[in-house]
Amino acid sequence: MAATLKDAAARKPVLATIRLIVPAGAARPAPPVGPALGFYRLNLMAFCKDFNARTQKYKADTPMQVTLTAYKDSTFEFVVKSPSVSWFLKKAAGIETASSRPGHSNISSLTLRHVYEIAKLKQADPFCKHMSLEALCKSIIGTANSMGIEIVKDL
Amino acid sequence: MLPSLVRASHAPLRRLISSFSSPRALSPRLPYVISSGGAGSLPPLILPLCAFSSPSRDSACGSSRGAQRGMGFCARAVDVSDEAPSTSAAAGYDLSAPYLSVRIRCLKQDAEVLSEALLCFGATSVTVDDIADAGNLDEISITSIYADGEDVNSSVSSAASSAGLNYSPVYEISVGKQCDWVATMQETYEPTEVADGLWVVPKWGTPPDPQATNIIINPGLAFGAGEHPTTKLCLHFLLEVIKGGEHVLDYGTGTGVLGIAALKMGAAVATGIDIDPQAIISASENLLLNGLHPNQMPVYLVSTSAQPSSLPNPVDESGENKLINNLDLESSRGTYDVVAANILLNPLLELVEDIVGYAKAGGIVAVSGILVEQVPKVKQIYSTYLDSILVSEMDGWACLQGTRRV
Repeated sequence: MAATLKDAAARKPVLATIRLIVPAGAARPAPPVGPALGFYRLNLMAFCKDFNARTQKYKADTPMQVTLTAYKDSTFEFVVKSPSVSWFLKKAAGIETASSRPGHSNISSLTLRHVYEIAKLKQADPFCKHMSLEALCKSIIGTANSMGIEIVKDL
Repeated sequence: MLPSLVRASHAPLRRLISSFSSPRALSPRLPYVISSGGAGSLPPLILPLCAFSSPSRDSACGSSRGAQRGMGFCARAVDVSDEAPSTSAAAGYDLSAPYLSVRIRCLKQDAEVLSEALLCFGATSVTVDDIADAGNLDEISITSIYADGEDVNSSVSSAASSAGLNYSPVYEISVGKQCDWVATMQETYEPTEVADGLWVVPKWGTPPDPQATNIIINPGLAFGAGEHPTTKLCLHFLLEVIKGGEHVLDYGTGTGVLGIAALKMGAAVATGIDIDPQAIISASENLLLNGLHPNQMPVYLVSTSAQPSSLPNPVDESGENKLINNLDLESSRGTYDVVAANILLNPLLELVEDIVGYAKAGGIVAVSGILVEQVPKVKQIYSTYLDSILVSEMDGWACLQGTRRV
């Protein structure tokens, strides 16, 4: 059974930390959810119902990053974060895969405006609230560079 | 924390690449043991030491569906205009389909960064055990799952270098089958007392109170095993409104638990509809488990399109039977005494006319699968169609009911 928010304060012994990417509103008892959660005997259906309900506000099938904490008493909690920065960058640049030779060949370009928009979206994430927009932008630019996406002032 | 995909320097990457291309230069810390765990249909995965192109992609083409599902998220993620419905709803479920499970050892301090990197490079899930390994306490095991046919080697090496690791993590690949985790999942269900004298009991369990009304459910891969607050809220609703002889519609039937419960409470007929073929299979089985006849509880697979049509769906695949069934369903619009829809916020909002349309004038409609914070939106839309709206809550979930305006 899913743990409620009040258990978050309690220090329960943790069994495992599971990270997955699940499409918003479309969690099903199938990979990736099935094998990852089933192995720990977690209530898959409850997770799917809960995750789907909580991600109704996102565009359907957006790949959300989920971090689940499975406790030794078979309860679990999870946190939903927005898609990875690399996903946003690929979407903005209109590409499917990152460059295979970043630093040598760039496959696309984005403007600072794109970076700013992504930073604003990311700042809404529970774990990024404390980061300044500038720090987020720098991090995003770094990720873009590692993917072979060039950031320019204007396109 | 944002994963930093910036490589600390290019040197480690070059070293890794050169060690892959020449078997003799291969670091002795990178042996891999491949065990094929119980998947008789797959030839053993033999990966030559210098491989980048994975032969597993060629030989393990058994479940293209599995690979599709794994890749599906990536492909869908990029295509902004892609509005195709989830393929898993349309396809049946292949329990013998294999998937790849990779056990990787790395330093504890690198676990988190490596996990995030693995997800970026094709892993569908990454689990970090907190079970301390007997050996080196600085090390930790990560289990990463991949869709069948993925190139695990390049994924792990790309992830390792992206995470800035200055060593090559040791890893081991094994093959699992979907039925492994499905079986484990089934074991988690226990009999649940939903209300005084009303229990929902899993198929293999014994009813703790043989005198009570016991609904036997084999959960399978559908929703509705009785323990979820929304199922309980809907069952309480049914207890309240079923007096005997009603025609009930279970909209989004899942395991069929609500329809079956209504019949056990005295309803005359319960109809179950769902967009998921798994639900149809599950509900059909469950009604038999409860000693019911399919005539008492017809179950229909419906399309995901929101627009109700007066004609049967022209793209029906399974031919005549389905057309006839849908005709029956269409002609039952506006006749139900009770409609219960335990689904999700967005479908509830989009399909309000469809859902309420099934109820007769003055019939009672209940919707759930919504969080308490989502109630205002639902109330706003449904108050155009329903009177005397009541909301009940349990554990952060809510159920909203009302009577269809005449």
